[in-house]
Amino acid sequence: MSTFEPNIVGFLCNWCSYAGADLAGVSRIQYPTNLRIIKVMCSGRVEPGMVLEFLEAGADGIMVTGCHIGDCHYITGNLHTKRKFALLQKLLAKTGLEPQRIRLEWNSASEGQRFANLVKEFTEQVRDIGPTPLKAPKPDAAKLLNLRAAKAAADAFRLRALVGKEEKLVTTGNVYGEKITQDEFTKTMDSAVETEFQVHRIHILLQERSRSVKDLANQLSLQPRTVLGYMVALRQRGWVDVKETVEGTPLYAAQ
Amino acid sequence: MKPVLVIGGGIAGIQASLDLADRGTKVHLIEKTPSIGGVMAQLDKTFPTMDCSICILAPKMIECYRHPNITIHSESEVVNLEGAVGDFRVKILEHPRSVDAKKCTGCGLCSEKCPVKRPSSFQAGLGQRKAIYLAFPQAVPLIATIDRDACLWFTKGLCRTCEKVCPSKAVDYEQKENLIELNVSSVITATGFEQYNPKDIGEYGYGRYKNVLTALEFERLVCASGPTGGVLSRPSDGKVSHNTAFIQCVGSRTQTVGYSYCSAFCCMYATKEAVLIKEHEPSSHVTIFYMDLKTFGKGFQGFVDRAQSHWGVQYIRGRPGEIREDPVTKNLTILYENTEIGKVERIEVDMVILCTAAVPHRENKELAQVLGVELDEYGFFEVGDPVSSPVETGKPGVYVCGSCHGPRDIPESVAEASATAAKASENIVLSEVGQ
Amino acid sequence: MTSAPRIGVFVCRCGINIAAYVDVPAVVEYAKTLPGVTYAEENMYTCSSDGLNKIKEAIKKYGLERIVVASCTPRTHEPLFQATCEESGVNKYLFEMANIRDQCSWVHQKEPEKATEKAKDLIRMAVAKAALLESGDEPEIDVTPSTLVIGGGVSGMRAALSIADQGFNVTIVEKESTLGGKLRGFDSLFPHKQKASEVLMPLITRVSTHPRIRVLTKSTVKSVYGFLGNFDIGVETRQGVEVLKVGTIIVAVGADILKPKGLYLYGEDPRVVTQSELEQLLHKGEVDAKIVVMIQCAGSRNEEHPYCSRICCNEAVKNAINITEKESDVYILYRDLQTYGIHYSRLEQEAKRKGVKFLKYQAERPPLVTSEPDGLKVSLYSPTVNEAVELRPDMLVLSTPLVPVADAKELSQLLKVPLDSNGFFMEAHVKLRPIDFATDGIFICGTAHSPKDIGESVAQALGVASRASIPMAKKRVRTAAIMSQVDQTRCSGCGTCLDVCPYNALKKNDKGLAETIAAVCKGCGVCGATCPEKAITMHHFTDAQIEAQGLAALEED
Repeated sequence: MSTFEPNIVGFLCNWCSYAGADLAGVSRIQYPTNLRIIKVMCSGRVEPGMVLEFLEAGADGIMVTGCHIGDCHYITGNLHTKRKFALLQKLLAKTGLEPQRIRLEWNSASEGQRFANLVKEFTEQVRDIGPTPLKAPKPDAAKLLNLRAAKAAADAFRLRALVGKEEKLVTTGNVYGEKITQDEFTKTMDSAVETEFQVHRIHILLQERSRSVKDLANQLSLQPRTVLGYMVALRQRGWVDVKETVEGTPLYAAQ
Repeated sequence: MKPVLVIGGGIAGIQASLDLADRGTKVHLIEKTPSIGGVMAQLDKTFPTMDCSICILAPKMIECYRHPNITIHSESEVVNLEGAVGDFRVKILEHPRSVDAKKCTGCGLCSEKCPVKRPSSFQAGLGQRKAIYLAFPQAVPLIATIDRDACLWFTKGLCRTCEKVCPSKAVDYEQKENLIELNVSSVITATGFEQYNPKDIGEYGYGRYKNVLTALEFERLVCASGPTGGVLSRPSDGKVSHNTAFIQCVGSRTQTVGYSYCSAFCCMYATKEAVLIKEHEPSSHVTIFYMDLKTFGKGFQGFVDRAQSHWGVQYIRGRPGEIREDPVTKNLTILYENTEIGKVERIEVDMVILCTAAVPHRENKELAQVLGVELDEYGFFEVGDPVSSPVETGKPGVYVCGSCHGPRDIPESVAEASATAAKASENIVLSEVGQ
Repeated sequence: MTSAPRIGVFVCRCGINIAAYVDVPAVVEYAKTLPGVTYAEENMYTCSSDGLNKIKEAIKKYGLERIVVASCTPRTHEPLFQATCEESGVNKYLFEMANIRDQCSWVHQKEPEKATEKAKDLIRMAVAKAALLESGDEPEIDVTPSTLVIGGGVSGMRAALSIADQGFNVTIVEKESTLGGKLRGFDSLFPHKQKASEVLMPLITRVSTHPRIRVLTKSTVKSVYGFLGNFDIGVETRQGVEVLKVGTIIVAVGADILKPKGLYLYGEDPRVVTQSELEQLLHKGEVDAKIVVMIQCAGSRNEEHPYCSRICCNEAVKNAINITEKESDVYILYRDLQTYGIHYSRLEQEAKRKGVKFLKYQAERPPLVTSEPDGLKVSLYSPTVNEAVELRPDMLVLSTPLVPVADAKELSQLLKVPLDSNGFFMEAHVKLRPIDFATDGIFICGTAHSPKDIGESVAQALGVASRASIPMAKKRVRTAAIMSQVDQTRCSGCGTCLDVCPYNALKKNDKGLAETIAAVCKGCGVCGATCPEKAITMHHFTDAQIEAQGLAALEED
């Protein structure tokens, strides 16, 4: 067993999970010291971008806890937490960071022991994976770029709009009363996640300096024609443009 | 404006108090035990939503405590009532808890160090508390109480350890009882119910067979804050129960031992407890022996349907005649008639839960006398006209809500509590207008 | 340019609860080194009157603008410390707590050094957030002291009377041409066999003559705008459209009785009636059947209406007693007899004493009803007698369920309140808020909520009278300043926030952009987390504040 002590951040909702953590305290149930708790009113407040930001800042593990489904103090908040967390998992998978570094759990106000067990378990889980590859002073450059791209994608319009509408589209339907099946939606989301991830990777690199398509393709391990496709999207959004042409090769830069 | 008196700090009393306090009326909430919360505080989950009971109750308890318009008198009872609606003069006896409420912080150190143990009524007798104790972790008020019948100082003149260890110097052995007088405009009775004690039903072996429990004992067993931390370990050997039977109508719907009425919510709490077992141990077998399945409430039928189809809870229509205990394994064999097929059968289980009826509080008689209201033939508070005035007793200004006037579930108790608050508010407006 | 706010940190020893495990003096010294911290001290019990005074003194002496208390849980003590801050002129939203007891000292008793480090981290996080806190103004809204009651049956009238007796104005909107609702069709009521008219007439008389109650019959609600305290209701009356301004709304629209055409020959044979039709016949004295069979759960507890309608067994028993007293034979064919509680148990016992026969039937084998040349035939297998039974009744009575009224869906959309899976109105919380809607200011009572008897309806009606009177008695309501705010310059009008808000606390303004209804917003933060344009700020839980907490947590010393 490693002696590395993971740094873990936890988002706890005010009504159930924070109260459950308090109950563990009142009952004097002991658990590891690695967790730092951020209280939010509802777990639905937690955005994928926040989790990704803290991973970028060097967190080894992040957990999000809320009320059990059906018990949300704000009625439907945790349904949205669930959707957003699924998006977060998809984004995290793109980065190369271990998926076990994040966890979503439901914990009620009466589950003090359960909370303590969760903290114990998650701390061990993260300890086993080892320190985050993004830890200063020598973060893994490729994974750091990926994480930044994932965060930028999580904070940008398209994925937020998709995940924001998911609950309604899949359960009650759109303004015409047409429901989207979960499968259809997942396909759309998966495709959007891939596109946004790659688009933001390119964007971040171009913000550092101007590059050619071939250069980007090498750096990102993508086919040049794939990069070109994304470049079109980036140009349409007005995020990049050709800065100059060097020996017949266009160099793109961020606007 | 005179305050309103609410007798009983369970969910009904709490709701009535909050409704009145929120609209600006002062409330005196009288609770005879050290903490408000009532039976709901002892439940694990509530049907049909499977909400964690204390999670939804505790915020309301804390609201009562902090509300500027509510004064909680715990360890107190009503001993005298005079006057009429709009102008009742009532005497409240505050029993001494032997702890200074202003100094105690609820840290629990006294209880930790106290050498005397007693069965905990909060844990339905399955666990223990000390002679000086906090009712339960989320108790309101969170103030220690000394059980003078158990305390070594009061019984033998010894110990006084709690006084020594208390960091706030809150222990006060000299504390006396206190009689206070209040002038109130209305009285709301919300004293709740008791559970039938099935020891009188000899055939079921309660009290003799270790693995025969009452439903409330089971709630504590399955609850995360209970004596086993929510592990379904049965009393005789701690083995996790894998085959449980529930028996309905214990002490109710009977002409012999017990009461003849239907206790309204037992079928539902049995279903809830059955589902709890399944949630804890999905592979376990659960059987409910019932007479008529009472699924009349909102969401009840759906809950039972799911218990059967999704969780696999078995319902058998038949009232068991006898339970026998295997002297070695302590398993129980139930003899019953399956009335759907007209056959006598037997089943062996490792734990039996007796779904005991809600019965009137043994103290109703005395309280009814003090208040000057009637009880029905069972001992529940009587309502004058259950159709037009469902929360009014025969005495104007004295109202009832919740199970004190017959078994009913939490949503009904809460709605009735608000109803009594409306009646009390009408009285206040009437007295202001001088009609 | 504003300078960084002056932060004060108070670290509680809580007797030995914190101090025995966390090195409080070291933590205080550490707190002093944190950016923005002007002052830090330790207290034995910060929540004692002594501790609170020290906070007040320090605010005064050091000009403190943000307060951090490191002690127990905000869930119990935050309001107390907030009140203390307010008393010293520091807005309550400029206060933050670090939980170093329930979530630190108590759970790390064997690791005091690590507990101390964790306490320092938690305080560093709280200080980082405190530096970014802003004052909050709790919005106050006026509450119009008047109520709209939709539905003039027993529930609607009883609610109206209680609200009016409490001093508020009430308008009842009733779609029929008279008050009274379904009770008009009833004869005698259980459990005490009162005449329905004896219950109904006093209500109608009082309602019609009450100085604070206005009755609009042959009227319906056509539009609903606004929120708690300030609803604008468009009502179509006999005279045309009228707009009512009310503070609260009560839904008391009742339920309909199912008439299951084709079931057990209902609608095909005149000898097959529903219980309510039987009531009317009894009322007119037109029942002379010698043998009556009643079938329970006729059209309920099945796929179409998968619920128990609560009152049908008791209604059947009551009617059976009436008929038996006229020397007829009555058979009640039931699945589970819902004679619950004290009164109905007595009713069941009375029925049995008077010779009413109860035969159980199984759901999978419902009775078979045929029309023979010599009369009706009802065949069933009954576990009660363990054999097949054949009955030849003169009259067959079907106990059919209550079902939602036809316009429930329309009303639910007007009010933006939900219906449950059976089409009845859905309350805010099944257990603890059974007669409130999640939307503030709107309440539900009676059979519109779910099937129930008259006494239960009256209890709920009185209940909503209390619930509705609360905001009206207070005249103004304050809500927490923890709420969303939409940046009008960033909002693109996509409306996703409206979709995710369970309280309808966001609306589109006349520019088509989202706007928070401050009084209704509960501050959950879901809209803020959702907004695709990141145009929504969640006050007191802003992105910047959360970011500051997390980065502070991860800071290496």
